[in-house]
This record gives sequence, structure tokens and C-alpha cells, in this order.
Amino acid sequence: MASSWGREITAIFRKELASELRTKTGLMTSGLFSIVSVVAVAFATINKRTDPTTAAALFWIVLLFSSIVSLPRTFTIEEELGTGDLLRLMARPHAVFWGKMLFNLGLLILTAVILSTLFFLFARVSVASPWLFVGSMMGACASLAGGVTLAGALVAQASNRGALAGAIAIPLLLPLTVVGIAALRVAFGEPGATVGARDALGLGCYGAISMAIGPYLYAAVWKS
Amino acid sequence: MLEVQGLGKRYGDRWLFRNLSFSLGKGDALVVLGRNGAGKSTLLKMVAGLVSPSEGTVSLGVADSRSDLGMAALDMALYPALTLIEHLRLAGELRGCEPRAEELLESVGLSDSARLVTSKISTGMKARLKLALAIQPEPGVLILDEPGAGLDEAGVALVERVCAEHKVRGALVLATNDGREKRLGNLELEL
Amino acid sequence: MGMCAATVFTMKAPPAGNFPNHNLARIIFWHLPCALICSLFVCAAPYFAWRYLRSKENNWDVRCAAAMEITLLTGLLTLATGIIFSKVQWGDYWSWDPRQTSFLIVMLIVGAYFALRSAYGDAQKRAANSAAYVLASILPVLFLIFVLPRVLFSLHPSTTIIKNEFDSTYRSIFLSMFALMLVICIWMYRMRVRAGLLEEAVEELNAGMADSNHPTATGVVRPVSLPNQSG
Repeated sequence: MASSWGREITAIFRKELASELRTKTGLMTSGLFSIVSVVAVAFATINKRTDPTTAAALFWIVLLFSSIVSLPRTFTIEEELGTGDLLRLMARPHAVFWGKMLFNLGLLILTAVILSTLFFLFARVSVASPWLFVGSMMGACASLAGGVTLAGALVAQASNRGALAGAIAIPLLLPLTVVGIAALRVAFGEPGATVGARDALGLGCYGAISMAIGPYLYAAVWKS
Repeated sequence: MLEVQGLGKRYGDRWLFRNLSFSLGKGDALVVLGRNGAGKSTLLKMVAGLVSPSEGTVSLGVADSRSDLGMAALDMALYPALTLIEHLRLAGELRGCEPRAEELLESVGLSDSARLVTSKISTGMKARLKLALAIQPEPGVLILDEPGAGLDEAGVALVERVCAEHKVRGALVLATNDGREKRLGNLELEL
Repeated sequence: MGMCAATVFTMKAPPAGNFPNHNLARIIFWHLPCALICSLFVCAAPYFAWRYLRSKENNWDVRCAAAMEITLLTGLLTLATGIIFSKVQWGDYWSWDPRQTSFLIVMLIVGAYFALRSAYGDAQKRAANSAAYVLASILPVLFLIFVLPRVLFSLHPSTTIIKNEFDSTYRSIFLSMFALMLVICIWMYRMRVRAGLLEEAVEELNAGMADSNHPTATGVVRPVSLPNQSG
């Protein structure tokens, strides 16, 4: 049974990857969004050194919106193309959710790498604690991938699904912003801020919980 | 094999149809007829479990609908960035059945186009691929919504052959307004 | 009338000496019960959502939507009374206090619930997807209401009720107001549930009447009747 789940999840992941490699829509969208946002941030803070808390807030906001721009697409595209029924006939909801969520996680990690590189190059931000930065990035990617994938799944069959995905995902993810910024400002060396590891762990826990409950909620709306 | 009891679908304050009951066994082929908008496609989707009924029940009498139910419909789209063979491999992996990709493509006359992405094939070829996907798991219940639409003479003959072969194995539900396709059934239901 | 009587009743409380505007301290009798009732209903909604997803019975969706409507109403009243209090006590209408801000985010989550509902035309899809959203929002809502305001420094006192820091007159008036507003909100909730179920019943009745005027296809399965070959 476990191998059957593994095979189905891998099949969905491979389908998403093949579609992405041929169309490149998701990576182009989030990559371009990251570049534009970082250029905007650098332009707004021209000739000024950004303090760690502001840099952490800007970084998180750009990552949050990059995820909202690109991740719900894995679900909404099924209904836009009209392939939703084909998928519902062939697959089980848990496998679909896990396959798409893992693909989104990979896409978001890639986006985070691009975004970090650009941020350090253009926005002149330095990292005081590299391991905490990597840890909080992993936690951020896990929690955002879990949360935004679920939001995409819930709006997939709605009208105006593109705008709605952001409208319902942002309020759900705003609490994460507080925790994520708290972790990043320590990583960026904010004087006096010390407990970033706890916040990074909190992000990871949120990600784990959304990944655990997401498939069950998706299964409940799968053939409603 | 397929038991439908008191089935009805209501959209707001309008019933599309109601009190539909029928039972199909092995070798039965039900042709669903009706004008446009009568609810033929909705009925077929309800039988396939894609649309929830407002009242009534559908029992397929199978353990796993993924491997015991096949469906091809006019409004069901294919993945534009995947090739024909990738569709069949994906479906096989998800259903847990043998993909039989080359064999199925050969049987529906698409072996020469196996490596083409579906955004580059014609409507008729898409209809053939959908037919191949529907029969891939050798299902007990086969549901076809306007299977001949967009097909040439050879395609229509293919649909007839698939239906005839399937009736030996299980039950068939087919929605159509085509007089020739009506001959494929032994039972009819007019909505 | 009850609310008018309650307003007069709150005037029995003496002006609070440690507030810049002594008389405005009485706003606590409206602000705090609204916040507590809002928290109660926002925590009840996931239970109704869970019941809907288990049973797919429409009455649980109606209950969930009604609970979220009361949450929105009491939440907006909490924010409105809070804004007035904030201006007088802290000098700004919006102080970006953690409790104030987290409550605003809870209201955004509730608003998103209604946005999601309005985007679904099909009643069953609307009910299932919005119920799933309510369940998905449990964790952020609990974090925003119970954790965040206690982790960060807040201008709001957070131990007034737990440590019984009200004086006896304020405590008895607060408890009376809380009971009165809770009764009113439960009454409104029940009315809303009844209205929702009636709407559904009327829709079904209309469909039934339309069905009797223009009979809906019922369909009878019969052997295939092929057209005459010669004709």
C-alpha cells in the first residue's frame, strides 16, 4: 500500500515537473516577481543601508507574495484547462495533494535561493547567522508551500480563482509573517534579538501541520 | 454492476431531472438521449462520481472506481504539455494498472503520434486518446459522452468496436444525439 | 429595549479614576463581551464545519455560516469600540497593538471566508470548500487570539479576567453585560440558522412547484427503439 502511495505521489510530481519544464510558467512568474520586487526594494532604499528588521520584513513579504503568485496555479490550472475531471477519475486526493505540494515546495525552495542571491547582491543585506538563515528559509518554504497549496486547492473550482487564492491565503499566512520576520531579523544580526531558532522551528511546525491536515481537507472537497 | 436509485439534480430552484432509477448488468448498454441542456452529461458525471446528486444514490458495486470505471467525455480536457504516451503512463501509475501505452495507442490508431504533446494534435486524435484512457484499466463500467463527436468514419468505427468489445466485459452508459450511436445500446433513457 | 436598559445599567458603574477619560472606561462593558463572544463563535464554527464535512448535511453549513456571521458582527463591534478606546486611552485610533492587530487579522480571515463562499455558485461546492477553509483557519485563529498577544508586549491588559482584577461593581456589571450580549447573540444566531434553513426550504418548494407546472424529466429506461430502416 505504501509503495502504491509513493508511486502515485511520484506520478503527480513528475506530471507537474514535466509540465513546468515545458511551459516554465511557474518558475518564470515567481522568478520574475522576485527580481522585480528586489529591484524595487533596492531602488526604494538607494544609497541607504537597510536595518536587519526592515530587511527581514521586506524579504518575507517578497517571499510570501512570490509564493502566492505562483503556487496556487498547480491546482487552479487543472480547472482552467478542464483537466480536473480527468484527474479526479484517475487519482486519489491525498496523492494529488502530496504530489502538488512537494512540487510547490521544490519550486519555492528554488525561488527562495534566487531571491536570497538577488537580495544579498542588490539590497546590500548581510547575514550574521547563516545556519539560522538557512533554517528559517527551510521553515518558511515548508509553511508557505503547505499553506498556499491548501489555499489553491480550496479556490480551484471557484470563479475568480486567481485573485481569490491570494485573498484567502494571505490572512491565513499573516501569523507566519510575524514568526518568520522574528527568525530572519536574528539571522540578519538585529542587536538584542536572540531567539530566532525557536521561531524558525515554529515555521517548520506550522508547515508540518498544514502538510498533515491539507490532504484530509482536500479529500473533503475533492468530489463535492 | 451499476445501480441508480431515485437520482435527481437540482440547480437552485430548478430540477434538471429527478427520480431516475435504473440498473445495468454485464452486457447491458444504456443510451442516454435528450436535447441540449437536458442533463445527459450531468447524469453521466453523477454516475462517474464527478458531480454530487441532489437526491438519490449511485452504486457502482466496485471496490475502486479508478480501476473499475472508465470515462471519456467531450468536455474533458487533456494535459496540453504532456505527450500521448505520457498520458497513458500517468494514468496507469495513478490507477495502479498496467499502462499498456503502446498497445492502446496502436489499438486507437495513434501509435505514430505517441511522442506528440496533446496541444499539437487534432480534436479527433484527442477523442481517440480519451477513449484509450477510458478503456485502459479494462473497467467494469464504461461511460462515454458523445464519443463520436469530432471523429471521422474510421473513428466512429473504432467507437463501435470499443463498445462491442466492452459489452462482453461489463456495462456501458453512452450519451448521444447521433442516430448511429443509438444502435450501440440495448436500453435507452430519454431525458 | 434590552440594549437601552443595558446602556442605562452600565452608567451605574463609577467613573474609572486611572483612565484619561473617566466616563469612557465604561466602554469596557461593550468591548470585552463582544471580544469574548466573537472568540466563542469563531471557535464554534470549526465544529459545525467538521460536522458538515462528515455528514454533508446542509443544516451544518447553515450553522457554520451563521456562526461566522455573528463572529464578523461581534468582531467589528470589538474593533469599533476598541478604536474609540484606543484614541482616548493611547492617543491614536490605531496603535498597532498586538492584540488589536491580531484581532484585525482574525477579521480578515472571517472576511476571506465570505469571499470564498461568494465565489461558489454551486451550493454543495460552496459548503464543502468554505467548511474546509474554516478548518484550515483554526490554527492561525487560535494563534492570533490566544498566543500572539501574550508573546509580544501589548498595551491591552491580559489578566483582568483571569486574575479577577475588576472591582466588584465593574465585575458584576461586566458579567451581566456579557450574559445579556451572549443571549442576544445566541438569539441572533438561532434566527439566522432558521432563516437559512427556510431559504433552503423555499428554494426546494419553488423547485417542486416549477416541477409540477412543467414536469422535470424523470426518464424511463426502455429497450432501444431504432428508427425504421426503410423510412
